[in-house]
Amino acid sequence: MDRDDLQRCYLLLGLTPDASLREVETAYRQLSELFDEASLATYSLLDYADRQEKLESLQVAFNTIAQARICLLPQDEPLPVDSDAAPSDPRATPGLHLQQHRERLGLSLQDIADRTKIGRYHLQNIEAQNYEKLPAAVYLRGFVREFARAVNVTEIDNVIEGFIAATRQASDSD
Amino acid sequence: MTDQQQSQQHRPRLWAIGGGKGGVGKSVISSGLAMALAARGERCILFDADLGGANLHTFVGMPHPQHTLSDLFSHKANTLEEILLPTPFPNLSLISGARAQLDMANPAWLQKIKLIRQLTTLPADHVFVDLGAGSSFNMLDFFLAAQNGLLVLMPTPTAIENTYHFLKASYYRRLRQVIRHFEAESLVDAALAEKVQSGIRSPKELLLDLLQRDPLLAKKLQQAMNKFTPKLVVNQVQRSEDRELGGKMVTASRDFFGIDMGEPAIIRNDDRVLIALKARRPVLEMFPGGPFAEDIRRLLSLMFPVKEKTHGQG
Repeated sequence: MDRDDLQRCYLLLGLTPDASLREVETAYRQLSELFDEASLATYSLLDYADRQEKLESLQVAFNTIAQARICLLPQDEPLPVDSDAAPSDPRATPGLHLQQHRERLGLSLQDIADRTKIGRYHLQNIEAQNYEKLPAAVYLRGFVREFARAVNVTEIDNVIEGFIAATRQASDSD
Repeated sequence: MTDQQQSQQHRPRLWAIGGGKGGVGKSVISSGLAMALAARGERCILFDADLGGANLHTFVGMPHPQHTLSDLFSHKANTLEEILLPTPFPNLSLISGARAQLDMANPAWLQKIKLIRQLTTLPADHVFVDLGAGSSFNMLDFFLAAQNGLLVLMPTPTAIENTYHFLKASYYRRLRQVIRHFEAESLVDAALAEKVQSGIRSPKELLLDLLQRDPLLAKKLQQAMNKFTPKLVVNQVQRSEDRELGGKMVTASRDFFGIDMGEPAIIRNDDRVLIALKARRPVLEMFPGGPFAEDIRRLLSLMFPVKEKTHGQG
Protein backbone atom coordinates (compact mmCIF):
# COMPACT_ATOMS: atom_id res chain seq x y z
CA MET A 1 0.00 0.00 0.00
CA ASP A 2 1.89 3.08 -1.10
CA ARG A 3 1.03 6.73 -1.10
CA ASP A 4 -0.09 6.61 -4.76
CA ASP A 5 -2.63 3.90 -3.99
CA LEU A 6 -4.06 5.93 -1.15
CA GLN A 7 -4.15 9.00 -3.38
CA ARG A 8 -6.10 7.00 -5.95
CA CYS A 9 -8.62 5.95 -3.29
CA TYR A 10 -9.31 9.59 -2.42
CA LEU A 11 -9.61 10.45 -6.12
CA LEU A 12 -12.11 7.67 -6.60
CA LEU A 13 -14.29 9.21 -3.90
CA GLY A 14 -13.85 12.64 -5.49
CA LEU A 15 -11.82 13.86 -2.51
CA THR A 16 -8.32 14.99 -1.59
CA PRO A 17 -6.31 13.53 1.31
CA ASP A 18 -7.17 16.48 3.55
CA ALA A 19 -10.83 15.41 3.69
CA SER A 20 -12.18 14.57 7.12
CA LEU A 21 -13.25 11.04 7.96
CA ARG A 22 -16.86 12.23 7.95
CA GLU A 23 -16.45 13.61 4.42
CA VAL A 24 -14.96 10.30 3.35
CA GLU A 25 -17.96 8.46 4.78
CA THR A 26 -20.47 10.80 3.18
CA ALA A 27 -18.81 10.62 -0.23
CA TYR A 28 -18.68 6.83 -0.04
CA ARG A 29 -22.35 6.57 0.93
CA GLN A 30 -23.55 9.03 -1.73
CA LEU A 31 -21.53 7.45 -4.54
CA SER A 32 -22.62 3.95 -3.54
CA GLU A 33 -26.23 5.11 -3.72
CA LEU A 34 -25.62 6.86 -7.04
CA PHE A 35 -24.17 3.74 -8.64
CA ASP A 36 -26.57 1.33 -6.98
CA GLU A 37 -28.50 -1.02 -9.27
CA ALA A 38 -31.73 0.74 -8.27
CA SER A 39 -30.49 4.29 -8.92
CA LEU A 40 -32.48 6.14 -11.59
CA ALA A 41 -29.77 8.77 -12.13
CA THR A 42 -27.26 6.22 -13.48
CA TYR A 43 -29.77 4.00 -15.23
CA SER A 44 -28.07 2.48 -18.31
CA LEU A 45 -24.87 4.49 -17.82
CA LEU A 46 -22.99 1.32 -16.83
CA ASP A 47 -23.65 -2.29 -17.69
CA TYR A 48 -24.09 -4.85 -14.93
CA ALA A 49 -20.45 -5.96 -14.68
CA ASP A 50 -19.05 -2.41 -14.77
CA ARG A 51 -21.54 -1.33 -12.15
CA GLN A 52 -20.53 -4.17 -9.81
CA GLU A 53 -16.87 -3.34 -10.32
CA LYS A 54 -17.56 0.31 -9.68
CA LEU A 55 -19.35 -0.44 -6.42
CA GLU A 56 -16.57 -2.78 -5.39
CA SER A 57 -13.87 -0.22 -6.11
CA LEU A 58 -15.76 2.36 -4.02
CA GLN A 59 -15.89 -0.07 -1.13
CA VAL A 60 -12.19 -0.91 -1.43
CA ALA A 61 -11.34 2.80 -1.54
CA PHE A 62 -13.40 3.50 1.55
CA ASN A 63 -11.95 0.57 3.49
CA THR A 64 -8.40 1.46 2.51
CA ILE A 65 -8.77 5.07 3.62
CA ALA A 66 -10.55 4.12 6.82
CA GLN A 67 -7.82 1.61 7.63
CA ALA A 68 -5.04 4.06 6.92
CA ARG A 69 -6.74 6.59 9.15
CA ILE A 70 -7.41 4.33 12.10
CA CYS A 71 -4.92 1.51 11.71
CA LEU A 72 -3.22 2.66 14.89
CA LEU A 73 -6.19 1.29 16.78
CA PRO A 74 -5.11 -2.27 17.53
CA GLN A 75 -7.44 -4.92 16.24
CA ASP A 76 -7.02 -7.65 18.87
CA GLU A 77 -6.18 -6.27 22.28
CA PRO A 78 -6.63 -2.64 23.16
CA LEU A 79 -3.49 -0.91 24.33
CA PRO A 80 -3.60 0.91 27.63
CA VAL A 81 -4.27 4.53 26.90
CA ASP A 82 -4.83 6.00 30.37
CA SER A 83 -1.93 8.11 31.53
CA ASP A 84 -1.76 6.35 34.88
CA ALA A 85 -0.74 3.06 33.33
CA ALA A 86 2.77 1.90 34.00
CA PRO A 87 5.17 3.38 31.45
CA SER A 88 6.12 0.85 28.81
CA ASP A 89 9.68 -0.24 28.23
CA PRO A 90 11.34 1.97 25.58
CA ARG A 91 13.43 -0.88 24.23
CA ALA A 92 10.94 -3.78 24.34
CA THR A 93 7.87 -1.87 23.13
CA PRO A 94 9.21 1.33 21.57
CA GLY A 95 6.01 2.09 19.60
CA LEU A 96 3.85 1.90 22.67
CA HIS A 97 6.37 4.02 24.56
CA LEU A 98 6.02 6.78 21.96
CA GLN A 99 2.23 6.47 21.87
CA GLN A 100 1.96 6.80 25.65
CA HIS A 101 4.11 9.92 25.66
CA ARG A 102 2.10 11.40 22.81
CA GLU A 103 -1.24 10.72 24.47
CA ARG A 104 -0.03 12.05 27.79
CA LEU A 105 0.58 15.36 26.01
CA GLY A 106 -2.88 15.18 24.44
CA LEU A 107 -1.48 15.31 20.93
CA SER A 108 -2.92 13.60 17.87
CA LEU A 109 -0.84 11.88 15.21
CA GLN A 110 -1.71 14.76 12.91
CA ASP A 111 -0.20 17.17 15.44
CA ILE A 112 3.01 15.16 15.41
CA ALA A 113 2.93 14.99 11.62
CA ASP A 114 2.57 18.77 11.48
CA ARG A 115 5.47 19.33 13.86
CA THR A 116 7.90 16.78 12.46
CA LYS A 117 6.87 16.94 8.78
CA ILE A 118 6.84 13.14 8.85
CA GLY A 119 3.84 11.61 7.07
CA ARG A 120 1.09 10.32 9.30
CA TYR A 121 1.31 7.00 7.52
CA HIS A 122 4.82 6.44 8.86
CA LEU A 123 3.96 7.75 12.30
CA GLN A 124 1.06 5.31 12.52
CA ASN A 125 3.26 2.40 11.53
CA ILE A 126 5.94 3.45 14.00
CA GLU A 127 3.44 3.53 16.84
CA ALA A 128 1.78 0.29 15.81
CA GLN A 129 5.21 -1.32 15.38
CA ASN A 130 4.29 -2.47 11.90
CA TYR A 131 7.89 -3.40 11.22
CA GLU A 132 7.33 -4.69 7.69
CA LYS A 133 5.88 -1.33 6.67
CA LEU A 134 8.62 0.84 8.13
CA PRO A 135 11.23 2.54 5.95
CA ALA A 136 14.88 1.52 5.77
CA ALA A 137 16.96 1.85 8.95
CA VAL A 138 18.67 5.08 7.87
CA TYR A 139 15.33 6.84 7.52
CA LEU A 140 13.76 5.07 10.46
CA ARG A 141 16.41 6.39 12.88
CA GLY A 142 15.67 9.96 11.84
CA PHE A 143 11.93 9.53 11.97
CA VAL A 144 11.94 7.91 15.41
CA ARG A 145 14.32 10.55 16.78
CA GLU A 146 12.08 13.37 15.55
CA PHE A 147 8.96 11.67 16.86
CA ALA A 148 10.54 10.99 20.26
CA ARG A 149 11.73 14.59 20.58
CA ALA A 150 8.29 15.91 19.71
CA VAL A 151 6.71 13.97 22.57
CA ASN A 152 9.48 14.65 25.13
CA VAL A 153 10.83 11.11 25.38
CA THR A 154 14.01 11.09 27.49
CA GLU A 155 15.42 7.69 26.51
CA ILE A 156 15.55 8.47 22.81
CA ASP A 157 18.48 6.18 22.02
CA ASN A 158 16.82 3.23 23.71
CA VAL A 159 13.66 3.74 21.65
CA ILE A 160 15.70 3.88 18.46
CA GLU A 161 17.66 0.77 19.42
CA GLY A 162 14.39 -1.01 20.20
CA PHE A 163 13.12 -0.30 16.66
CA ILE A 164 16.36 -1.19 14.92
CA ALA A 165 16.65 -4.50 16.80
CA ALA A 166 13.04 -5.40 16.12
CA THR A 167 13.17 -4.56 12.39
CA ARG A 168 16.36 -6.62 12.05
CA GLN A 169 14.62 -9.49 13.75
CA ALA A 170 11.55 -9.09 11.56
CA SER A 171 13.58 -9.16 8.35
CA ASP A 172 15.69 -12.11 9.56
CA SER A 173 12.65 -14.22 10.23
CA ASP A 174 11.48 -13.75 6.64
CA MET B 1 -9.52 44.80 -37.28
CA THR B 2 -9.26 42.58 -40.35
CA ASP B 3 -12.25 41.64 -42.45
CA GLN B 4 -11.94 38.09 -41.26
CA GLN B 5 -12.08 39.04 -37.59
CA GLN B 6 -15.01 41.28 -38.31
CA SER B 7 -17.00 38.58 -40.06
CA GLN B 8 -16.18 36.14 -37.26
CA GLN B 9 -17.49 38.58 -34.72
CA HIS B 10 -20.81 38.72 -36.45
CA ARG B 11 -21.23 35.02 -36.70
CA PRO B 12 -24.32 33.85 -34.89
CA ARG B 13 -24.01 31.77 -31.75
CA LEU B 14 -25.18 28.22 -32.38
CA TRP B 15 -27.46 26.53 -29.89
CA ALA B 16 -28.33 22.85 -30.29
CA ILE B 17 -31.16 21.25 -28.39
CA GLY B 18 -30.94 17.47 -28.34
CA GLY B 19 -31.36 14.59 -25.98
CA GLY B 20 -32.08 11.44 -27.90
CA LYS B 21 -35.61 10.82 -26.72
CA GLY B 22 -38.65 12.01 -28.63
CA GLY B 23 -41.44 13.87 -26.89
CA VAL B 24 -39.38 15.20 -23.99
CA GLY B 25 -39.92 18.84 -24.95
CA LYS B 26 -36.98 19.70 -27.21
CA SER B 27 -39.09 21.72 -29.65
CA VAL B 28 -41.13 23.58 -27.06
CA ILE B 29 -37.92 24.45 -25.21
CA SER B 30 -36.01 25.56 -28.33
CA SER B 31 -38.90 27.71 -29.50
CA GLY B 32 -39.34 29.09 -25.97
CA LEU B 33 -35.67 30.01 -25.66
CA ALA B 34 -35.61 31.62 -29.13
CA MET B 35 -38.77 33.63 -28.41
CA ALA B 36 -37.49 34.82 -25.03
CA LEU B 37 -34.16 35.86 -26.52
CA ALA B 38 -35.83 37.55 -29.52
CA ALA B 39 -37.93 39.50 -27.03
CA ARG B 40 -34.65 40.80 -25.59
CA GLY B 41 -33.86 42.31 -29.00
CA GLU B 42 -31.44 39.64 -30.24
CA ARG B 43 -31.98 38.43 -33.81
CA CYS B 44 -32.87 34.76 -33.54
CA ILE B 45 -33.43 31.99 -36.05
CA LEU B 46 -35.12 28.71 -35.24
CA PHE B 47 -33.75 25.87 -37.35
CA ASP B 48 -35.79 22.70 -37.48
CA ALA B 49 -33.25 19.90 -37.79
CA ASP B 50 -35.81 17.20 -37.19
CA LEU B 51 -35.24 16.14 -40.76
CA GLY B 52 -38.23 14.12 -41.75
CA GLY B 53 -40.50 14.96 -38.81
CA ALA B 54 -40.45 18.73 -38.84
CA ASN B 55 -43.13 20.57 -36.88
CA LEU B 56 -41.36 23.48 -35.25
CA HIS B 57 -43.57 25.96 -37.11
CA THR B 58 -46.54 24.78 -35.02
CA PHE B 59 -44.74 25.83 -31.83
CA VAL B 60 -44.50 29.42 -33.04
CA GLY B 61 -48.10 29.46 -34.26
CA MET B 62 -47.46 29.20 -37.99
CA PRO B 63 -49.21 27.04 -40.58
CA HIS B 64 -47.14 24.56 -42.56
CA PRO B 65 -44.63 26.71 -44.41
CA GLN B 66 -44.36 26.88 -48.18
CA HIS B 67 -40.59 26.91 -48.11
CA THR B 68 -38.65 24.26 -46.27
CA LEU B 69 -35.32 22.48 -46.29
CA SER B 70 -36.79 20.25 -49.01
CA ASP B 71 -36.37 23.21 -51.37
CA LEU B 72 -32.68 23.22 -50.61
CA PHE B 73 -32.25 19.48 -51.03
CA SER B 74 -34.19 19.53 -54.32
CA HIS B 75 -32.21 22.58 -55.51
CA LYS B 76 -35.27 24.83 -55.74
CA ALA B 77 -33.38 27.07 -53.38
CA ASN B 78 -29.64 27.59 -53.24
CA THR B 79 -29.04 28.97 -49.78
CA LEU B 80 -30.57 28.73 -46.33
CA GLU B 81 -31.23 32.45 -46.45
CA GLU B 82 -33.68 31.93 -49.33
CA ILE B 83 -35.89 29.70 -47.21
CA LEU B 84 -35.73 31.88 -44.12
CA LEU B 85 -39.30 32.65 -43.02
CA PRO B 86 -40.48 35.53 -40.87
CA THR B 87 -42.59 34.56 -37.86
CA PRO B 88 -45.35 36.64 -36.23
CA PHE B 89 -42.75 37.75 -33.65
CA PRO B 90 -40.17 40.49 -34.05
CA ASN B 91 -36.52 39.36 -34.38
CA LEU B 92 -37.57 35.75 -34.82
CA SER B 93 -37.28 33.80 -38.09
CA LEU B 94 -37.74 30.17 -38.90
CA ILE B 95 -36.13 27.64 -41.19
CA SER B 96 -38.56 24.80 -41.47
CA GLY B 97 -37.47 21.20 -41.69
CA ALA B 98 -37.99 19.05 -44.70
CA ARG B 99 -41.35 17.59 -45.58
CA ALA B 100 -41.54 13.84 -45.38
CA GLN B 101 -39.67 12.45 -48.33
CA LEU B 102 -37.70 9.34 -48.91
CA ASP B 103 -34.11 9.69 -47.59
CA MET B 104 -34.75 13.15 -46.24
CA ALA B 105 -33.93 12.16 -42.68
CA ASN B 106 -30.39 11.23 -43.72
CA PRO B 107 -28.90 13.89 -45.95
CA ALA B 108 -25.59 13.01 -47.52
CA TRP B 109 -22.51 13.85 -45.54
CA LEU B 110 -21.53 16.70 -47.85
CA GLN B 111 -25.01 18.21 -47.63
CA LYS B 112 -24.81 18.14 -43.85
CA ILE B 113 -21.39 19.79 -43.75
CA LYS B 114 -22.68 22.50 -46.09
CA LEU B 115 -25.73 22.99 -43.91
CA ILE B 116 -23.69 23.41 -40.74
CA ARG B 117 -21.36 25.85 -42.49
CA GLN B 118 -24.29 27.87 -43.80
CA LEU B 119 -25.90 28.03 -40.37
CA THR B 120 -22.93 29.99 -39.06
CA THR B 121 -23.20 32.56 -41.84
CA LEU B 122 -26.89 33.35 -41.36
CA PRO B 123 -27.76 36.99 -40.68
CA ALA B 124 -28.60 36.57 -36.99
CA ASP B 125 -27.19 36.76 -33.49
CA HIS B 126 -28.39 33.29 -32.51
CA VAL B 127 -29.42 30.13 -34.32
CA PHE B 128 -31.35 27.53 -32.34
CA VAL B 129 -31.03 24.08 -33.84
CA ASP B 130 -33.87 21.86 -32.73
CA LEU B 131 -32.64 18.29 -33.16
CA GLY B 132 -34.82 15.29 -33.77
CA ALA B 133 -34.87 12.18 -31.64
CA GLY B 134 -32.10 9.63 -31.84
CA SER B 135 -28.32 9.72 -31.75
CA SER B 136 -27.53 9.47 -35.46
CA PHE B 137 -24.33 11.05 -36.73
CA ASN B 138 -26.42 13.83 -38.25
CA MET B 139 -27.79 14.81 -34.88
CA LEU B 140 -24.40 14.46 -33.20
CA ASP B 141 -22.62 16.65 -35.72
CA PHE B 142 -25.12 19.46 -35.33
CA PHE B 143 -24.80 19.08 -31.59
CA LEU B 144 -20.99 19.15 -31.61
CA ALA B 145 -20.93 22.18 -33.92
CA ALA B 146 -22.91 24.25 -31.42
CA GLN B 147 -21.36 26.51 -28.77
CA ASN B 148 -24.34 25.88 -26.50
CA GLY B 149 -25.47 22.26 -26.37
CA LEU B 150 -28.56 21.40 -24.36
CA LEU B 151 -29.58 17.88 -23.43
CA VAL B 152 -33.29 17.72 -22.68
CA LEU B 153 -34.83 14.86 -20.75
CA MET B 154 -37.77 13.99 -18.54
CA PRO B 155 -37.35 12.22 -15.21
CA THR B 156 -38.14 8.80 -16.67
CA PRO B 157 -35.87 5.77 -17.15
CA THR B 158 -36.38 5.72 -20.93
CA ALA B 159 -35.44 9.37 -21.31
CA ILE B 160 -32.43 8.92 -19.03
CA GLU B 161 -31.34 5.93 -21.06
CA ASN B 162 -31.57 7.87 -24.33
CA THR B 163 -29.79 10.84 -22.75
CA TYR B 164 -26.81 8.77 -21.65
CA HIS B 165 -26.75 7.13 -25.05
CA PHE B 166 -26.69 10.52 -26.74
CA LEU B 167 -24.08 11.81 -24.28
CA LYS B 168 -21.81 8.81 -24.84
CA ALA B 169 -22.22 8.90 -28.61
CA SER B 170 -21.45 12.62 -28.84
CA TYR B 171 -18.59 12.37 -26.32
CA TYR B 172 -16.93 9.54 -28.23
CA ARG B 173 -17.42 11.31 -31.55
CA ARG B 174 -15.75 14.42 -30.18
CA LEU B 175 -13.01 12.35 -28.54
CA ARG B 176 -12.27 10.65 -31.84
CA GLN B 177 -12.03 14.04 -33.55
CA VAL B 178 -9.72 15.33 -30.82
CA ILE B 179 -7.51 12.22 -30.95
CA ARG B 180 -7.20 12.60 -34.70
CA HIS B 181 -6.48 16.31 -34.39
CA PHE B 182 -3.60 15.75 -31.97
CA GLU B 183 -2.45 12.60 -33.80
CA ALA B 184 -2.74 10.60 -30.60
CA GLU B 185 -4.03 7.40 -32.22
CA SER B 186 -1.07 5.21 -31.28
CA LEU B 187 -1.08 6.42 -27.68
CA VAL B 188 -4.79 5.66 -27.28
CA ASP B 189 -4.47 2.32 -29.05
CA ALA B 190 -1.69 1.30 -26.68
CA ALA B 191 -3.81 2.20 -23.66
CA LEU B 192 -6.88 0.42 -25.00
CA ALA B 193 -4.86 -2.71 -25.74
CA GLU B 194 -4.12 -3.01 -22.02
CA LYS B 195 -7.53 -1.78 -21.03
CA VAL B 196 -8.48 -4.84 -18.99
CA GLN B 197 -5.19 -5.04 -17.08
CA SER B 198 -5.23 -1.32 -16.24
CA GLY B 199 -8.89 -1.46 -15.24
CA ILE B 200 -10.07 1.19 -17.70
CA ARG B 201 -13.86 1.19 -17.64
CA SER B 202 -14.68 4.77 -18.51
CA PRO B 203 -13.41 7.71 -20.57
CA LYS B 204 -12.19 9.36 -17.37
CA GLU B 205 -10.09 6.34 -16.49
CA LEU B 206 -8.78 6.21 -20.05
CA LEU B 207 -7.58 9.82 -19.84
CA LEU B 208 -6.00 9.17 -16.42
CA ASP B 209 -4.17 6.21 -17.92
CA LEU B 210 -3.01 8.32 -20.87
CA LEU B 211 -1.65 10.92 -18.46
CA GLN B 212 0.80 8.34 -17.13
CA ARG B 213 1.88 7.26 -20.61
CA ASP B 214 2.32 10.68 -22.19
CA PRO B 215 1.51 13.57 -19.86
CA LEU B 216 2.01 16.29 -22.47
CA LEU B 217 -0.21 14.80 -25.14
CA ALA B 218 -2.80 13.55 -22.65
CA LYS B 219 -3.10 17.05 -21.15
CA LYS B 220 -3.91 18.42 -24.60
CA LEU B 221 -6.60 15.80 -25.10
CA GLN B 222 -7.98 16.51 -21.65
CA GLN B 223 -8.10 20.25 -22.23
CA ALA B 224 -9.90 19.78 -25.52
CA MET B 225 -12.42 17.39 -23.98
CA ASN B 226 -13.02 19.72 -21.03
CA LYS B 227 -14.69 22.05 -23.51
CA PHE B 228 -17.38 19.44 -24.05
CA THR B 229 -19.90 20.69 -21.51
CA PRO B 230 -23.48 20.18 -22.64
CA LYS B 231 -26.12 21.56 -20.31
CA LEU B 232 -28.57 19.11 -18.77
CA VAL B 233 -32.18 20.30 -18.87
CA VAL B 234 -34.65 18.26 -16.84
CA ASN B 235 -38.14 18.98 -18.13
CA GLN B 236 -41.54 18.26 -16.58
CA VAL B 237 -40.19 18.26 -13.05
CA GLN B 238 -42.88 17.54 -10.46
CA ARG B 239 -41.45 15.97 -7.34
CA SER B 240 -38.44 16.66 -5.17
CA GLU B 241 -36.62 13.56 -6.39
CA ASP B 242 -37.08 14.84 -9.97
CA ARG B 243 -35.28 18.01 -8.88
CA GLU B 244 -32.33 16.04 -7.54
CA LEU B 245 -32.06 13.87 -10.64
CA GLY B 246 -30.16 16.41 -12.74
CA GLY B 247 -27.53 17.03 -10.09
CA LYS B 248 -26.99 13.31 -9.63
CA MET B 249 -26.60 12.79 -13.37
CA VAL B 250 -24.05 15.61 -13.47
CA THR B 251 -22.10 13.91 -10.65
CA ALA B 252 -22.28 10.53 -12.39
CA SER B 253 -21.13 12.09 -15.67
CA ARG B 254 -18.21 13.78 -13.94
CA ASP B 255 -17.30 10.41 -12.51
CA PHE B 256 -17.70 8.55 -15.79
CA PHE B 257 -16.56 11.05 -18.44
CA GLY B 258 -14.56 13.42 -16.29
CA ILE B 259 -16.54 16.34 -17.74
CA ASP B 260 -18.23 19.09 -15.78
CA MET B 261 -21.69 19.94 -17.10
CA GLY B 262 -22.34 22.48 -14.35
CA GLU B 263 -25.65 23.17 -12.67
CA PRO B 264 -28.47 21.33 -14.40
CA ALA B 265 -31.51 23.36 -15.42
CA ILE B 266 -34.97 22.50 -14.16
CA ILE B 267 -38.21 23.16 -15.97
CA ARG B 268 -41.30 22.57 -13.88
CA ASN B 269 -44.22 20.61 -15.15
CA ASP B 270 -46.84 23.05 -16.49
CA ASP B 271 -50.19 21.96 -17.88
CA ARG B 272 -50.42 25.23 -19.79
CA VAL B 273 -47.81 23.94 -22.24
CA LEU B 274 -50.32 21.44 -23.57
CA ILE B 275 -53.13 23.99 -23.61
CA ALA B 276 -51.00 26.37 -25.67
CA LEU B 277 -49.91 23.62 -28.02
CA LYS B 278 -53.51 22.60 -28.65
CA ALA B 279 -54.33 26.24 -29.38
CA ARG B 280 -51.26 26.22 -31.70
CA ARG B 281 -49.86 29.25 -29.96
CA PRO B 282 -46.46 29.71 -28.28
CA VAL B 283 -46.55 29.06 -24.52
CA LEU B 284 -44.51 32.17 -23.82
CA GLU B 285 -47.01 34.35 -25.65
CA MET B 286 -50.12 32.73 -24.20
CA PHE B 287 -48.91 32.24 -20.62
CA PRO B 288 -45.94 34.59 -20.15
CA GLY B 289 -46.22 34.42 -16.36
CA GLY B 290 -46.54 30.65 -16.01
CA PRO B 291 -43.94 28.30 -14.52
CA PHE B 292 -42.76 27.12 -17.95
CA ALA B 293 -42.14 30.66 -19.23
CA GLU B 294 -40.44 31.58 -15.97
CA ASP B 295 -38.12 28.59 -16.06
CA ILE B 296 -37.28 29.13 -19.73
CA ARG B 297 -36.27 32.72 -18.99
CA ARG B 298 -34.19 31.55 -16.02
CA LEU B 299 -32.42 28.96 -18.19
CA LEU B 300 -31.79 31.60 -20.83
CA SER B 301 -30.28 34.11 -18.42
CA LEU B 302 -28.09 31.31 -17.10
CA MET B 303 -26.77 30.46 -20.55
CA PHE B 304 -26.78 33.96 -21.99
CA PRO B 305 -26.80 36.61 -19.29
CA VAL B 306 -28.41 39.94 -20.09
CA LYS B 307 -25.70 42.46 -20.88
CA GLU B 308 -25.41 45.93 -22.25
CA LYS B 309 -25.81 45.90 -25.99
CA THR B 310 -22.57 46.47 -27.81
CA HIS B 311 -24.01 47.51 -31.16
CA GLY B 312 -22.28 50.36 -32.85
CA GLN B 313 -18.87 49.19 -31.75
CA GLY B 314 -16.31 47.64 -34.11
